[in-house]
Amino acid sequence: MSSRLSKLIRNENMKIYRRSRTWIMIGILLLAVGLLSGIMKWDESRIDHSNWEQQLEQQNLHMKQELTDNPDSGEEYSSYLTKQIKMNDYYLEHDINPQQLSLWSYVSQSSNLIMLVTILTVVIAADMIAAEFSWGTIKLLLVGPASRSKIMISKYIATLGFAVMLLLLCFAASFAAGGILAGFDGLNQPLLTVSNGMVHESSMIIDTLQTYGFSVVSLIMYVTMAFMISSAFRSSSMAIAFSLLFMLLGNTLSALLSQYSWSKYLLFSNIDLTRYLDSGTPLRPEMTMTFSILILVAYYVVFQFIAWLLFTKRDVAA
Amino acid sequence: MSEAVLQLRNLTKTIGMRKIVDNLTFDVPAGEIFGFLGPNGAGKTTTIRMIVGLISMSKGEAIIKGVSVRSHFELAMTHVGAIVENPEMYKFLTGYQNLIHYARRHNGITKERIKEVVSLLGLQNRIHEKVKRYSLGMRQRLGVAQAILHRPSLLILDEPTNGLDPAGIRELRDYLRKLTKEEGISVIVSSHLLSEMELMCDRVAIIQAGKLVDIRSLQEARSQAQTKIVIEVGDPAAAEQLLSAAMDGSGMTVSGNQLELTADKSAIPHITKLLVASEIEVFGIHAVQKSLEDQFLEITGGEMIV
Repeated sequence: MSSRLSKLIRNENMKIYRRSRTWIMIGILLLAVGLLSGIMKWDESRIDHSNWEQQLEQQNLHMKQELTDNPDSGEEYSSYLTKQIKMNDYYLEHDINPQQLSLWSYVSQSSNLIMLVTILTVVIAADMIAAEFSWGTIKLLLVGPASRSKIMISKYIATLGFAVMLLLLCFAASFAAGGILAGFDGLNQPLLTVSNGMVHESSMIIDTLQTYGFSVVSLIMYVTMAFMISSAFRSSSMAIAFSLLFMLLGNTLSALLSQYSWSKYLLFSNIDLTRYLDSGTPLRPEMTMTFSILILVAYYVVFQFIAWLLFTKRDVAA
Repeated sequence: MSEAVLQLRNLTKTIGMRKIVDNLTFDVPAGEIFGFLGPNGAGKTTTIRMIVGLISMSKGEAIIKGVSVRSHFELAMTHVGAIVENPEMYKFLTGYQNLIHYARRHNGITKERIKEVVSLLGLQNRIHEKVKRYSLGMRQRLGVAQAILHRPSLLILDEPTNGLDPAGIRELRDYLRKLTKEEGISVIVSSHLLSEMELMCDRVAIIQAGKLVDIRSLQEARSQAQTKIVIEVGDPAAAEQLLSAAMDGSGMTVSGNQLELTADKSAIPHITKLLVASEIEVFGIHAVQKSLEDQFLEITGGEMIV
């Protein structure tokens, strides 16, 4: 039973990776990583690094002055300044130039490209079912000893596989670019954070994986939505157009509508879970991480159910 | 009649108020090329698509080799190979990759089997080329290859000749004959092209407005084909009177000097004798075989599109 499903997944993979379009997408992603890394390196090279220690000391002086001059400028601001001073002291003490990019700077910047990975995967997902109808191959695909549900599952898994492949590629390419541009000796460099008046060292890999992880949540939601749209439309260009439209308009829309309390139930208002981290602010004050996760799960189930219903219950007449 | 490879039981498709397919019940015997014949829109394609699960059944049942399509779809489909209209293949894949794609759905199709089917259909020279460079005829052959890879008991072809040129149609016909002989496959084929069905099928079911009109063996139809006798006489009125009295005058028509009647060829000497004895001048008598086309047109009330 499972071997049959794995064969179906291999079929779907063959149909993804034997198309030249897929390789153009992979090329675009690699190009984007290269471009981003190149620009970062170029930007870094314009800064004069010779007297960074003096600069940091000067900064600290300024900030300390600020703290004593305006003691009532607000809790947030003053704690920000104290943190910054602590960090700078740590840099000076350990002879770390914060302006100098390390391998991990490149890798953590690459998480911005997960948006591109999402767009590329949405294109693939939107095409996954609709293209079979466009090509007319759906008939022979369905007339076989595999139920429609199994065919749908195999297509969904192959789509997620494509997303995972792109994410790994994005990570690996930026890691390689970082290593080449900044040297691989930065590999063990820790992530520095200040809490309770102390500077803490933690793993850069875990922090990067966390950033990737949050982006994967929105990736899965967008891809699942595109997959549903794909089984609703029987033309691939329509499915791709609508999926990208929803995805790109969604964020703007949820920001515009955030003044209305019902907007918290929209998919796009909940899709960015980083809002609930220390550094973020929720779209609406009453929203919490748990609430958003529940809403996302509900949307996920509904998307999958509609996609399944549309794919398995409709007649293939044309 | 040997064991039925396909049984239809009250198969019905209703869309809105309209019954596209209405209570079809019949058996398709094994080892034959069986045709679904009917005018456009008679419900042939809908029937076939219900059998292969592309369209849901509103009522009734299709049973392939004793397995219900409705309740055991996956098992039933292991016995079936199908081409639904023109076989659309993945154009960006090679012919061979397309076959791998279809082979993976079944258990135990070896590389040797794929090779065997490829050479059976004469595709070996171009099997590693992309399908987008194939002609329609070659795609049709690849479609047949895909359908027989898993040695199905039943091959279902829906309007397989649509879009094929006469040479392609002939080629397909030859392959089907070859397959029934060499692989012992039963074939169901639908078409509105009567002349095609006549050349291809052993038996046909005539479907009209979603209903089964008749099932005919074409061999019987050929041997039992009734003859039309055309007689040219000097006095057609007298001849009509004479012959209708003598031969209970089934379907006798008069046009000008010509008298037409339906009778077996063996009746000609008797008719001649009668006419001569009554001193009616006879200018000519000849027998015309009534074509299958005429017979089918009679059955379907002239709606056949040929």
